Parts: sequence; C-alpha cells; structure tokens
Amino acid sequence: MGSNENQLKKASQASLVSLLNLTFFPVISFILLLIIYNKTTTENIDRYYAVIGIKTNLIAAVALILVTALMILLGGFDSPWTWVYVISYFVFVHALFILFATWTMVRSWTGKKLTKSFLSK
Amino acid sequence: MKYESQGIAKLYFIAAIALFVGQILFGVTMGLQYVMGDFLFPEIPFNVARMVHTNLLIVWLLFGFMGSAYYLVPEEAERELYSPILAKVMFWIFLVAGALTILGYLLVPYARLAELTMNDLLPTMGREFLEQPTITKIGIVIVALAFVFNIGMTILQGRKTVINVVLLTGLVGLAVFFLFSFYNPHNLVLDKYFWWFVVHLWVEGVWELIMASLLAYVLIKVTGVDREVIEKWLYIIIAMALISGLVGTGHHFFWIGTADYWQWFGSIFSALEPIPFFMMTLFAFNVVNKRRRDHPNKAAVLWALGTAVMAFLGAGVWGFLHTLAPVNFYTHGTQITAAHGHMAFYGAYVMVVLTMISYSMPLMRGQKAANVNAQKHEIRSFWIMTLSMVAITLLLTGAGIMQVYLQRYSADPLPFMVVQDRLAHFYWAREVAGLAFLSGLFLYIYSFFAKGPEVADVE
Amino acid sequence: MRETFTKGMARNIYYGGGIFFFLVLIGLTVDTVNRLPATDNRENLSEQVIAGKRLWEVNNCIGCHSLLGEGAYFAPELANVYTRFGESTEAIKAFIKYRPVDGVEGRRSMPQFNLTDEELEELAQFLKYVDGIKTARNWPPNIQG
Repeated sequence: MGSNENQLKKASQASLVSLLNLTFFPVISFILLLIIYNKTTTENIDRYYAVIGIKTNLIAAVALILVTALMILLGGFDSPWTWVYVISYFVFVHALFILFATWTMVRSWTGKKLTKSFLSK
Repeated sequence: MKYESQGIAKLYFIAAIALFVGQILFGVTMGLQYVMGDFLFPEIPFNVARMVHTNLLIVWLLFGFMGSAYYLVPEEAERELYSPILAKVMFWIFLVAGALTILGYLLVPYARLAELTMNDLLPTMGREFLEQPTITKIGIVIVALAFVFNIGMTILQGRKTVINVVLLTGLVGLAVFFLFSFYNPHNLVLDKYFWWFVVHLWVEGVWELIMASLLAYVLIKVTGVDREVIEKWLYIIIAMALISGLVGTGHHFFWIGTADYWQWFGSIFSALEPIPFFMMTLFAFNVVNKRRRDHPNKAAVLWALGTAVMAFLGAGVWGFLHTLAPVNFYTHGTQITAAHGHMAFYGAYVMVVLTMISYSMPLMRGQKAANVNAQKHEIRSFWIMTLSMVAITLLLTGAGIMQVYLQRYSADPLPFMVVQDRLAHFYWAREVAGLAFLSGLFLYIYSFFAKGPEVADVE
Repeated sequence: MRETFTKGMARNIYYGGGIFFFLVLIGLTVDTVNRLPATDNRENLSEQVIAGKRLWEVNNCIGCHSLLGEGAYFAPELANVYTRFGESTEAIKAFIKYRPVDGVEGRRSMPQFNLTDEELEELAQFLKYVDGIKTARNWPPNIQG
C-alpha cells in the first residue's frame, strides 16, 4: 500500500535524523526532525517514531547538556572531581542514548512499535 | 548437531571456562594488590599475578576460538572435521603446555624460568602478553598450525561459505601475526613498533574477523534470517575493520620515538575503528528484529546482542575516548587504558566466545536449548558479569581522569605513587565490582548444571 | 537493504580495501624504519645497554612498570626515570639494589632481584638509553612520567 510505504519511509527518516542529532549533526538534525514531524499523520507509525525521536532528543538535551552544565557549575571548572564525574557520566549516558536511538531506528525499519522486551515480537 | 566431530568443541569449551575462572581469580588478586600493595608479596608479586591473568585470558580465548571453529566449520562445510584425532591430541598438548607455563610463572622467579627454558638461545621473553618462554611460543605455533591445517582441510574439501572463509582468514592471520613475537630486536623503538604487529593486528585486526564470523553464524542460527543478507553485512563489517584498523595501528606509534606523521595517520584512521563495531550493533539489532523464528535458546540471542553492544561500547566508544593524539598525549599509559582494555576484551572477545558456548553446548548435549531454569540462571549471569564490567570500566575511567589531572595535566604534577594513593577509593570499589563479576561467572558455570522443565520448541 | 549494493560489491571492498591499506601500512613501516636513526638513540645502543635490555626482560620489569607508556600501571613510568633521578645512574642502581626482600608493609612492593653490580650498571645504562630516545612532543608530558 502506497501510503503505508510512505509512512514507513518517514518513520525510518525520523529515526535516522534522531540518531544523527545525537551524533554528528546536532541541532540541524533536530530541525529536520521537526520538519518530518509536521509531515506525519496522526495515529500512524510515522508520527509514532517522529514523536519518539523528539522526546529522546529533548530528554538527551536535559541529561547531557543541562546536567553536565550543572555538574560543572556546582563542582567548579577547576576541580578534578568535576571532570571525573562529567567525563564518565557524559560518555556513558551519551552512549546509552546512541544505543537506544540505534535500536529505535532499526525497529522503525520493520514498521513495528517498540515493545517492553526486545525479545518479544 | 549434524556432525559427530562437532562434539570436540565441548572439550575445548570446558577448558576455556576453567581457565577463565583462573584468569578472574588472579584478576581479583591484582585488584587487591592495587590497594593492599604487599598482598601475597614476595611469593606472588604483582607482575606474576598479572602475567598469569593476561596469559590465561589469551589462552582461554584461543581455546574458545578453536572450540568455536571445531563446532561451526563441519556444519558450514557440510562434512566431518578432517582429523578429529589431531584436534583431540592438540587439545591436550595445548592444555598441558599452557598449564606448565602458568606453573612456571608461579613456581619460579621469572629470571630463573628464562634460564631453565634456555631463553638465551632465542630471547623472546619479558614483553607484555608475550611472557611465554620461547619453547612455549614454539609450541603455540605448532598447535596453531595443526589447528589451521585441520580446519583448512575441512573447508577445502567441503562447502566454502563466507562465514567459513572469513573465519579461516582470521585464524590464519592470528597464526601469522603471532610469528612477530619471535622478533625481539635490541633497538627498543623497533621492538615496540613490531610488538604491535602481534597485539594490534590481533585484537584490532584479524580477531575482529573471527568475532564477526562467529557472531554471524550464531545470528543465522537463532534468527533464521537469510544467509545472503548476513554474508553481505559480514563483508561490510570486516572491510571497515581492515580499512580502519590496519593504518589505525598508528595510534600506538604516537610516543614511542617514531616519525611525527603517525599522530595524524594514527588519529584519523583509528577514529574510524568504532565503525565496524557500530555496524555489528546495527547488524545484530536488525537481524533479531527481522527474525523469522523465536529460537528457544533466548540466552544465546541475548549473548549475541550483548556482544555487539558491549564491543561497541568497550572497543568503539572507550577506544575513541583516548585515541586522538592530543588527548592520548595525556592519557597514554594510565587507568584510562585499563578501563578501555577491560571492557573491549570482555565485550568483543569474551562475550563472543560465551555466545558460541551458549548456542552450541545444549546442542552438543542433545537439546535444542538449555532448560528454562538453566537459561534463567545463565541470563542472570549475563547481566551480573556485564553490569559488573560496566562498573569496573566506569570506576577505572574515573580513576584515570583523576590520575591524568594530578599527574599529567597539572602545572604542578604529583609523583606516580602519591597519585595512586589518591585513587584508592576507586580501586576499592573496582575490587567489589570484580568480586561481583566473579560471582556472575560462578552463576554462569552453575547454569550448566541447573535442572528444570525443558523449553517448548517454538518454531 | 538496497539491491543496488550487492554482496559482491561488499566482498570487493573488503579485498580491495584490505589489500590496499595493508600495502599502505607496509609502505609507512618502511619509511618509519628508515627515519628511525634520527630519533631512536641507536648511537648509544652499546653492548652494555643490550645486556641491560635483556635484564629488563628476564626480570619482567614491564610487569609492574610502564616504559614509554606501555606495560603495567602498578609502578611508575621509567622512560624518564634517568632524568627524574637527577640524571644519575647511581641513584637508579641504589634504588633497585636496596629493595627490601619482604617489601614495604602495606605498600606496593618491588622485589629484590639480587643483581650484581655489573648487572645494575647495565640496567641503569639501558634506562639512560631509553631516556635519550626522542619521542614526539617530548613525551611524557612532565617529569613524573
């Protein structure tokens, strides 16, 4: 079905752009993601993945930019402990977001939604 | 299992796990020595515990690779192993030689071991990971050649699949690059340069071919995804591994007295090294999502996914963290290195061997998958070991950042030993994580003996 | 996955890319080895230093120490220990010679290797030779290694 194929394509695009925002092309990819969201249709798979992409990146922005900034502010730029926490935290949490976005992208290729366990169909 | 000779793998896997336990016991010993410096001194000084830990790791992974090859090659080549008896004989030779070497490390001072094994005739002892006496190294070459011959003849006389051939290429590469361990020039810069032709071209080179082919094999079996798709992915993955990793060797040549251009070549090419690991993650995620069957061995599927993820994190992400020369200038030879090394080895190589064992052991015992209870314990052990390793890595990363700040980056750097004292809390916490890891390993072993209701064979 | 990118193409990239970059590595290796005399301090690679390197190996110093950042991270970096000890081979020899047999209580301990005075001199000369290797950006970053 033509429209389904179209929706699948948009879902995949949304997920890819979401991953790109988390990695190589931040901000510009988020803008692209919003553009794709506007083109999606309610209650369908393309909107589902566009929304997940937007939510993921908003949460990541808080977790990676805001929290890190707070750590630096509270800990002080010059204290080694600040950097112990900031670097370990950033690398680990950023990697987790990338993994989540990768899984989501691969899932979007199948046209199915996310499920509780990745081993369930 | 389709061919009787596949069962030889069982012997190799049992030895592998036994040596794995030994490795971790010495690991937690070293972890304690980091904070209780004279623990077991002078009977087992730190360097002896370390060479036992690292050599056991390498040997058990080799047993794991060999067992994996003995299991999968007959099935892929669609014929029995060329010489089962050779495989059995080599098993015992390798095991006995390995055990004697480890005993040698533990029972006599290393310099005395060098004398006893006539190191002076062809001195190859005393380099990291290559501590084995020259005669042991010669033994390893013989075992490796016999193994490659056996596997090679099986493939030559049987069906040549992409998985088979890539695995064989990796194994031949392993044997060939090991020969560099016999080259020990007086010139320290040359010594170090070519040492990496064993170590880097192994773990960031041909071992990746081995890992990718084993992972591809298990994924075909547990997902039922079309072989053509998987084989194409396999080629892309190993292409990227070599394209990035060969010149990427240069990230070890930054500060050892070689030309400056290595800072550029090494940084740029090794920055690409996470790509094959990211692709393995994409690949594993994709085939599991597109699977055509729900294989009853859920543990094996989890190990396969976990391998891809942890290899990406440990080898890819943590490797990238300190691979660029401007960063590495400060982090070279610190706890950052140890953090990366542990998660990379666990994620890529330990886990792929455990994936193969998880998949094949039940089949060699005559079942499709382990019983429900056993799988539950196995899956729990997966999480305990994996999360413990994440904890170890995060703690050593923290220690490394502090070490770099105090000892390398500061305008008023502190001496090494003073800095190590300041890191004690990190090391104590790491030891706790290490003990948790060990408990996960014991649970893993227990899972092979746990009884329970059989799995329903769902197709 | 697209049908335009075939398995055959992937295989060719693997073979082509693998062989090409292996040759690049060989080429760079030849060039690197040719350039080494300018930096590797080989003019000081005497028989004594060679003997010292052998002692470094058979006593497995790398099992606790790092040398040019490679090795173990239990004990200090030794590539610049000659400089750190005030450019004194005597200081290096004394440190190794006077390690207590039973270690230092509660502290990371170095074994007593029972080396002869001649061996101590060889080992110290080896470490002096290593200190003289010209590393990029003068690695390590500072005196502490």
